[in-house]
Amino acid sequence: MLTIDSKGGGLLVITGRLDAAQCGSAQAALDKVDGVVTLDCNGLEYISSAGLGVLLKTQKRLLAEAGKLRLTGVNRHLRDVFMYSGFDQIIDIETAG
Amino acid sequence: MSLRSHIGRLTIEDMEVILNVTRDLAAPHDLEAMLNGVVAAAKQVLKAERGSVWLYDADADEMVMEVATGIAPVRIPASAGFVGACARERRVINVPDCYADSRFNPDVDRASGYRTRCMMTLPLVDHADTLVGAMQVLNKIDGQFDANDEALAAVLAAQCAVAIQRARMTEAIIEGEKMRRELETARIVQMSTLPSKMPAVAGYDFHGMSRPASQTGGDTFDLAVVDQGVLVVLGDATGHGIAPALSVTQMQAMLRMAFRLGADLETAFINVNNQLEQTTAQDRFITAFIGLLDTTQHRIRFQSGGQAPILHWCAQSATFERRGPTTFPLAAMQMRSLRPSVSLEMAPGDVLVLLSDGVYEYCNSADEQFGEARVEGIVAEHRGLSMAALGARILAEVHAFAQGAPQEDDITLVLVKREGTANGTFARSIDALPSLVAFTSDFFTRYGVDPTLLYPVDFALEELFTNVVKYAAGGGARVEIDMATHAEGIEVVLTDYHAERFDVTEVPDAKVDLPIEQRRPGGLGLHLVRRMVDHVDYEYSDVERRSRIRFRKNLRT
Repeated sequence: MLTIDSKGGGLLVITGRLDAAQCGSAQAALDKVDGVVTLDCNGLEYISSAGLGVLLKTQKRLLAEAGKLRLTGVNRHLRDVFMYSGFDQIIDIETAG
Repeated sequence: MSLRSHIGRLTIEDMEVILNVTRDLAAPHDLEAMLNGVVAAAKQVLKAERGSVWLYDADADEMVMEVATGIAPVRIPASAGFVGACARERRVINVPDCYADSRFNPDVDRASGYRTRCMMTLPLVDHADTLVGAMQVLNKIDGQFDANDEALAAVLAAQCAVAIQRARMTEAIIEGEKMRRELETARIVQMSTLPSKMPAVAGYDFHGMSRPASQTGGDTFDLAVVDQGVLVVLGDATGHGIAPALSVTQMQAMLRMAFRLGADLETAFINVNNQLEQTTAQDRFITAFIGLLDTTQHRIRFQSGGQAPILHWCAQSATFERRGPTTFPLAAMQMRSLRPSVSLEMAPGDVLVLLSDGVYEYCNSADEQFGEARVEGIVAEHRGLSMAALGARILAEVHAFAQGAPQEDDITLVLVKREGTANGTFARSIDALPSLVAFTSDFFTRYGVDPTLLYPVDFALEELFTNVVKYAAGGGARVEIDMATHAEGIEVVLTDYHAERFDVTEVPDAKVDLPIEQRRPGGLGLHLVRRMVDHVDYEYSDVERRSRIRFRKNLRT
């Protein structure tokens, strides 16, 4: 349903659906990273508001530690969600293709 | 003998008459006035007692003399008599003494009481060397027609031939224009009988349209709510033009009347057939599908007089079922009885496709027909569209296929879809989310819903479902979800029984422009749902303690 793989060097690859049912495991995975973290979203099909909460919490923690979270490979649907929620103003987002 | 040598002998009067004739003939005339003018001029110039003009009818290979308005013209074979010989050989025939000439037929004189002494017949040949007819003058007032008269007549005949040909062409053009206007009027009448509004029946989507090949077509359709259900008609009369257009218009009117009067399908079919048989030409008939759709039993009963194929997209099996005609075409012959009507079950997502052969048999420039396989392919791929959009799609594909080849036959489409519906019950738990996702995905696949709607529908449904799980924990163990397609898109209803009232539409929007330090997780779900879908409403029943959230997502058009 959802996997988050660490590729080292602050790069994480997320695949699947980040919905309310997956928030717990996603949060646990993201709590382990530090510094400037790039989340490769090419395989992320879906994100719900609960998923946004996970990203918000992570970004706040990283910023406080002088790091940050950035997203790459964000698809059109996800981009809409980030835009409607104002998350495009608090997380660096790079869209796919 | 040259004309020039004779022109010197023309009197001033003769010259004046010929010039007058030339001038008059150049003016626009109707054919009848033109012929009268030619005859009068010929009599005057050639000093003849009588004159007549015969016109050549190339189609019938006959020579025709218009005697007077209102009387049938005299027709003779183009090979008969002096007129025929003159026309055939394209030379002047001058007979000084008719009764001494064996070729002369005295019957005409006997009938009229007139005695023909001498006669001159001249061919009328226009500048393009086309035979126009023949001019004949009888009985020179002071003797016989001589060589001088022949030369004079030849000058006159040349003028007349060109003028007559021009008048005939003008008449043909005017006739064509009159015909065009009549057809235009007939088209307006015919098109005005076609339904302009489609029946509005919840759970169904109807579309009908007709595009005639020429001004008037032999196709018709009907989609109308009657007491017996929704009347569904597609008719195609043989041929084009006013007669077939009238036949199908008549049929459509009779059917509506019969059903308004409470007739059942079989009675209406038999009676309309028998009436049409009496009023339609012997070699004409109308192929027609006539059906009545019961929108509560979801069953369409039909009779098809020679109208096929009847394509039925079955959503459940994702296949087409093809039905053939139940009987012979309407108006073909009298009918006493009819086999029982055929019934089709319209399951959710099913589409009935009725197209006139103008679609199936549309030929492209390579002489290839559009065919059934292409129609099936388009319907299967685009069945999730509204029927109006599917119709437009079919026409667009036919147009692309044609590669500029003109439309030879009328094109008529009748499309009936029963909207797709699905109902599911889910445990009130976040763990139910995967089965919710699968339910939505199945629905989209089965009914061919535009995949661009999947994300927002998934999103809204999940947010609302999660909300129900989180905030209405006191509710029943299960949540019910209903999905339905409609012409513009999709509608989803979440029903939560034994729940407290919680109106999701009253939740304020989140403040999304706050700096990150001030932003808190949560509160975004409904904010986003409102932006992702087109309409959200809420309904609560105190009696049942039932909470119902409904949202719609429409296709952008």
